[in-house]
Amino acid sequence: MIEVRNLVKDYGTIRALDGVSFRVEKGEVVGFLGPNGAGKTTCMKIITGFISATSGEVKVASLDVVEHGVEVRKRIGYLPENAPLYPDMTPHEYLMLVGTLRGIGKDEISTRISKVAELVGITDRMGQEIGTLSKGYRQRVGLAQAMIHDPEILILDEPTSGLDPNQIVEMRDIIKEIGKQRTVILSTHNLPEVTATCNRIIIIHKGRIAADGTPDQIQSAHGGGNFYLVEIEKHDSMDLASMFSAIKGVRSVASLPSSTHIERLRIEGVENVDLRRDIFELCVQKGLTLLGLQRERLDLETIFQRITLQ
Amino acid sequence: MFRNVFAIAKREFYAYFASPVAYIAIFLYLVLLAITFFFKIPFLLPKEDFFVEKEASLRALFEWSLLLFTVFLPAISMRLLAEEKKMGTIEILLTLPVTDVEVVVGKLFGAVGFLLVALALTLAYPILLFAIGKPDIGPILGGYFGVLLVGMGYLAIGLMASSFTSSQVVAFLVAIVLCALFTFVDRIPEALGIRALEPLNAMSFSYHFRSMARGVIDTRDIVFFISIIFAALTIAHYSLSSRKWR
Repeated sequence: MIEVRNLVKDYGTIRALDGVSFRVEKGEVVGFLGPNGAGKTTCMKIITGFISATSGEVKVASLDVVEHGVEVRKRIGYLPENAPLYPDMTPHEYLMLVGTLRGIGKDEISTRISKVAELVGITDRMGQEIGTLSKGYRQRVGLAQAMIHDPEILILDEPTSGLDPNQIVEMRDIIKEIGKQRTVILSTHNLPEVTATCNRIIIIHKGRIAADGTPDQIQSAHGGGNFYLVEIEKHDSMDLASMFSAIKGVRSVASLPSSTHIERLRIEGVENVDLRRDIFELCVQKGLTLLGLQRERLDLETIFQRITLQ
Repeated sequence: MFRNVFAIAKREFYAYFASPVAYIAIFLYLVLLAITFFFKIPFLLPKEDFFVEKEASLRALFEWSLLLFTVFLPAISMRLLAEEKKMGTIEILLTLPVTDVEVVVGKLFGAVGFLLVALALTLAYPILLFAIGKPDIGPILGGYFGVLLVGMGYLAIGLMASSFTSSQVVAFLVAIVLCALFTFVDRIPEALGIRALEPLNAMSFSYHFRSMARGVIDTRDIVFFISIIFAALTIAHYSLSSRKWR
């Protein structure tokens, strides 16, 4: 559906994108993740044809975005960052304008407007000037504008930035609903958002793709080793740390705050090996009472920080 | 094509009446016109023979309109693209399936619509003339046509200035300077006493306007204004598209 190949974009002497390539298939909901200034917005602006790349190419539905700009733009609905809308218009007037410029026929446009208005939940604000709407409502009008022509592809630049927690949840639900039948690319620097709405994550850092895959794939590829939380009944005079370190595949052992009866440890093991059986058997062998054993992996937040703080 | 141009023009036209700037500009224009019309203040007017007493014509009105337009129309055109760039709304507009040409032309037509409203409000003067005397209709029709072409030229220049920047103030000032230059360029040879510069007259808005205001519609004058409008729009278009190759 969308094919990005070797995209490079220079702003003067600053390289905003440095060889970005990826493919997005029909029906995927992809989250662009990255710190501010990583190149997410630049990449979206190039896909929508607002600006051109310094080199590289983008194809949408096999059409080059530069050569077939108008054709490509017909297939895309785009919500730029901060939902820039005309403040002097009402949502109804604005959607009327965008719908007309999108080539929707006169007889059809009213039904389309009421449909998208209902979908994003702005039916009761259609007659109020956009400039007087709250940020949350403006964002929704922006989304309605992007969907007025029922596009195959939606590109949303930080659709939840500046919203309060309740609005964020509502916006996510709307995006999830929309994503059922469409290809969506959204950008964010908010991690819970991607895990909540996207089935694929592309982490962009310093103009390059630092990671690309499902949340699971990224966790196993970039999450480092596995972590095991071990709880053992207190047992005097035994050096648990060195005991567990002896297991093959253990990288480190750290003791966590313990209570009077329970000793807690956090053991880091190598990737792709499950050490739970070894830990259990060692405990049996040494006559320790194992109260808890849980494997966990690095959460996305930590992975994101590891990648982007490099 | 026409549908898109019309939709954009309509949006621009209505946008003027959503802000007080439009009403203030029209009000000032009409008040200043009324002052010259009824009190005949000849200052700034180009030629002394324009005030032949008891003449039933609108010459003074047109000449004064030309001067007022050099300030008044840049104030109208300054927001056309600069405001969109500042607010970011241009990003949605230009990622709709419309071409940059349609945007530029639509914006100009929206502003021209506003100009037509302003001119329509001055129709009270010719009506007054017909009520009290027997004016020659030729110069009045020619004058209105000329004023419209001059106004369109100013607006196109203002649109071009607006395409250069995201600051409305900068767009306004650049447009005023350019409009004033095109209006007064025919005075330069005279002022400097250099006859060799007289070909510059052909670039002057007031020079071409004056022949139309006599009621003589010459294709050369029309071609002149259309060329200026076309050139300004072409530059505005390139300036707008330059985001793609920068």
